[in-house]
Amino acid sequence: MKRTLVAAAMLALTLAAVRPRPAAPVDDSARLDLGGPDDVSGFARATEPRPLRLPEDHGPHFEYQTEWWYYTGNLAAGDGRAFAYQFTVFRRGLSPGDPPAEPGLRTNQVYFAHLALTDEQGQRHVFAERWGRGAADLAGAAAEPYRVHVDHWQAHGNAGGGVRIDARHEGFGLALELEPRKPPVLHGDRGLSPKSDEPGNASYYVSLTRLATRGRVVLGGHEFEVTGESWFDHEWSTSALGPEAEGWDWFSLQLDDGRELMFFRIRRRDGGFEPASGGTLVERDGTTRRLGADELRIEVGDHWTSPRTGARYPAAWELHLQSPALRLRLEPIVADQEMRTSIVYWEGAVRVSGTAGESPVQGRGFVELSGYHAPMQGLF
Amino acid sequence: MLPRTLLATGLRDLLRRPLHTALLVLGVALGVAVVVAIDLAGDSARRAFVRSTDAVIGRATHAVHGGPSGVPVAVYRDLRRRPEVSAAAPVVEATAFSESLGRTSVRVLGIDPIAESPFRDHLGGGSLRAPGFSRLFTEPAGCVISAAAARRHGLALGGPLRLRVDDRALELRVLGLIEASPDRAAALEALVLLDVGVAQSLLGLGDRLTRVDLILASDADPSGLAATLPPGLRLAPASEQAQTAVQLTEAFHLNLGALSLLALVVGMFLIYNTITFSVVQRRTVFGTLRLLGATPGQVFGLILAEAALASAVGTLAGEVLGYALGQGAVRLVTRTINDLYFVLAVGDVPMTAAVALRGALLGMGAGLLAALPPALEASRVEPVAALRPSTYEGRARVLLPRIATVGLALALCGAAGLGVSDGVTAAFASLFAIVLGTALAVPLLTATLSGWAAAPLGRVAGSLGRIAARTVERSVSRTGVAVAALMTAVSVTVGVSLMIASFRATVVNWLELTIRADLYVGAPSGGGVRATPAIDPALPARLRALPGVADLETIRRVRVASGVGEIALGASELGATGGGLYRFAPGSEPDPWARVQAGSIIVSEPFAHRHRLAAGARLEIHTDRGPVVFPVAGVFYDYSTEEGQVLMARAVYERHFDDRAVSSIAVHAASGTDLAGLAARVREAAAGRALFVTDNRSLKREALRIFDRTFAVTDALRLLAVAVAFVGVWSALMALHAERTRELATLQALGLTPGLLRKLGLLESGLMGALAGLLSLPLGALLAWILVDVINVRSFGWTMELHYEPWLFVQALALSLAASLLATVYPLWRLGRREIAAALRHE
Repeated sequence: MKRTLVAAAMLALTLAAVRPRPAAPVDDSARLDLGGPDDVSGFARATEPRPLRLPEDHGPHFEYQTEWWYYTGNLAAGDGRAFAYQFTVFRRGLSPGDPPAEPGLRTNQVYFAHLALTDEQGQRHVFAERWGRGAADLAGAAAEPYRVHVDHWQAHGNAGGGVRIDARHEGFGLALELEPRKPPVLHGDRGLSPKSDEPGNASYYVSLTRLATRGRVVLGGHEFEVTGESWFDHEWSTSALGPEAEGWDWFSLQLDDGRELMFFRIRRRDGGFEPASGGTLVERDGTTRRLGADELRIEVGDHWTSPRTGARYPAAWELHLQSPALRLRLEPIVADQEMRTSIVYWEGAVRVSGTAGESPVQGRGFVELSGYHAPMQGLF
Repeated sequence: MLPRTLLATGLRDLLRRPLHTALLVLGVALGVAVVVAIDLAGDSARRAFVRSTDAVIGRATHAVHGGPSGVPVAVYRDLRRRPEVSAAAPVVEATAFSESLGRTSVRVLGIDPIAESPFRDHLGGGSLRAPGFSRLFTEPAGCVISAAAARRHGLALGGPLRLRVDDRALELRVLGLIEASPDRAAALEALVLLDVGVAQSLLGLGDRLTRVDLILASDADPSGLAATLPPGLRLAPASEQAQTAVQLTEAFHLNLGALSLLALVVGMFLIYNTITFSVVQRRTVFGTLRLLGATPGQVFGLILAEAALASAVGTLAGEVLGYALGQGAVRLVTRTINDLYFVLAVGDVPMTAAVALRGALLGMGAGLLAALPPALEASRVEPVAALRPSTYEGRARVLLPRIATVGLALALCGAAGLGVSDGVTAAFASLFAIVLGTALAVPLLTATLSGWAAAPLGRVAGSLGRIAARTVERSVSRTGVAVAALMTAVSVTVGVSLMIASFRATVVNWLELTIRADLYVGAPSGGGVRATPAIDPALPARLRALPGVADLETIRRVRVASGVGEIALGASELGATGGGLYRFAPGSEPDPWARVQAGSIIVSEPFAHRHRLAAGARLEIHTDRGPVVFPVAGVFYDYSTEEGQVLMARAVYERHFDDRAVSSIAVHAASGTDLAGLAARVREAAAGRALFVTDNRSLKREALRIFDRTFAVTDALRLLAVAVAFVGVWSALMALHAERTRELATLQALGLTPGLLRKLGLLESGLMGALAGLLSLPLGALLAWILVDVINVRSFGWTMELHYEPWLFVQALALSLAASLLATVYPLWRLGRREIAAALRHE
């Protein structure tokens, strides 16, 4: 769900502020007046649970405004050197329905992708962003064969029924094969994940919470053979955040006892949290348990202030789940995993340690923190 | 250093003779004004061009261009994925004619809003956060224009904007307005921005782009990238487009600048005249000053200081006047540039430091230079001689042959210079030397000729006639200069008029030869010759099938890259008329048209001149199949573009290019066909398309109208030169009469009635006018020859038949007579009001 919000925000933001090259000076003497708001009527809204149809549902849902395909993962090279990655493709429908079938660049779909690589040993985090229009194969999404891409950054179905990610930027890149280890998880009510008490303020949210991953990462001219585990989220919706929402914290954790935990909470400007916050606990066998907002207690232990943007983010957490009993300590593997892209947010890998009942438990995960640099509210 | 009291003398003198001072100031002011106005206009046009180029090119370092059919989007897609490309943006560009934007030509720019920000700031960077942004993609015909243009033309957000591009009439909707800072607003005013996909769709471009703008990584190897492009596509530095256009207008700006200098030269006569007059009038003052101990250097310095002061005031006034004139001149210059070269919108004409400085240097320089001879003269005179009024004329008479000799030498040097160098600047320098040299000889000629005129004038008008002739002869230091000034202005007028008349006659002949079909069908681009509108390729076949159509000719005009930069290429399909449509310059191969059918090309005369090509040469042209070298079979006469063009046969074009459109169609009617009926049928066949159908008479008329408009600037300059000369004659006559106050009063006291005095005055000025007119005729003819056969050929490469229109010579004579007679009116009127006794006492 988390990303729901991120993406919704970013997309609503319409992608636009888009400054792929920070080096390019923007002349502020030109101001564009577009007169009125976008017309968002006509898009379908997520109101009822719907049966999951695969493989079609891995592809785009043009009747909804916003959609994204989110890959994150923790990896290790042969010598134990730890890496983490994020590769996401976002889709924004500018009008409801399929893009026009014209030979040129005419389209009603805009895509953008984020790519990030974290190097724990080198304490480095590198990232990049690409934008593309959904025309002429510049950027797009398809179910069969599965492929989401912006330019040459892509995730596509491989021969073994898994997914291959190829994304290369100046100085870093990924070439990974992902193999699902568990069946798809439907969050919320059979995949319908509400964002607020308002009906329709919800998304369809499907995850593959554990994918065995192997391949190569490239960083600073060196190539590393890596193995590890990835997490995949696919979410689509047409919705808006309420005026009281400021941002959100989102967690996806893979524990070494074979379970996974997803949890998000929407922060309000008054310091409280949206009651529709919640999560999912995935058992070893893939069965799931929906978690309500009040079932998980989160204590923030530390903060980190970005020297680049001045944003102050939480930087350590204690998670307490009553039943089943779970106490987890989360620590970022690199403090600065801030994504200074069109929208500034923090998305990074964390190390997990704690107890499950009485037994010790370890793990890896990803945390996403939005709205700390500038409130998300107003961008929707 | 001049003593203060001496300076005060000079200053008081300037104040004591307001009219004289005014003339001095006027001479400088007019000259400076003309130069500044033209300079300003040219400067603004150039800056506007740079800005509008920046507006379109932005921060791109390179661009991938295609041939006439553009760049496939697949190439853009692949370029985005290459590591050496830091950023890429697709661009669709077209020239449109817009009724909604003041019936002018505008540039339609199709861009991808999400790929734009590294390249251009029109969409204001972060302001894309503005709600409504997505409508740029989703509205079927949404566009963004500048807020300034919207205000000027009364367009509102959400309102319609009508455009014609090629043969399409489009109605767009204004979705957004760009509020830009004043210095950028002008560049945006002639720009209509669309989403690139919407633009492709509206213009029927399919999967084609005009170009792909690139920012290459700093360590990228452009030639490596270029080698990977499909044939027909070309990687070029972004600066190339701007350079081509700047080179294109170089000759135009040079010619304009030279003509404006002529006005300053005429202004110099005025200054010289006025200062000489003041020196002559104050000889006694200078003599007294010398007797009181002033050194020759101090007297020299005094006169120069006066001239400097007057020049400074005149320069200042000239700058202000020039600024005002510049606002008008820029419209003429822009109009010409639009007709001849490319679409340009010049929003503002601000005074720049460079223009002001050039004007000031010229004004002060010309003022001081013109004051130099009289200042030298005054300082050299012995104190005692200075107290005798007649010495100056005496000395002048002695000097006349020497000055004339110098002038003759100067003119000969100028003539020799024509043969030595083949540059345009050198040709103008020669022209100036000849004009100036001739002008220097004019005082001697004036003295001699008016001496000869005494007897015949005496027979015609009695003793008054003789007196008039002798007066002109005797006061030659004054009358000679006035005649020289008038002669210079009139001869320039004659030269320029003859040049334009010859050019026009040549163009008329050429139009007769080339516009022979009965009806012409084309798309109204309004974008000057660089626009290459495309008409539906299916139309020629439909027209051919119409009853009454005997034959068709088509031409496709495109701009393509070549070994010599971007060129205008025409693909010509001729009917039964064959190659008879073109006339070839000597040196072309036998039957060039047959060779064109076989795969050669022919080039127009200006093209051959610009690129130093002749028959037998080879030219590499970038076709859709890659670069191909074409042999040049001949050079044809063509006056349609200054840039020049290359022609190939339609069949050859279709072998090398994928483009199948045509740009205009000529229809030959079967004999006996009712043309009005045929025109109606043609219009019907072209229904739904924004095409014009016109007969050959209207087309010729339109061509000549544009021709005449092109020379509007030249005409304006010519008039200004005459105006300056008129003031010169006027001031000379004023000086003459003022100086002769006592003489005239004596004549009056002896019984000459005011009527007779006026007659005398008229006879004198009539003689001066006639002399100036007569002398200007041979010089004017010579100038016309230099302009037509030397400067035009060197600047533009056109062959023109020099046509000595007799009527223009008559006009010139009448002009100089009228100018000098008109200039007498005020001095004579003043003369009549003078009290004889007072005038006599004055002495």
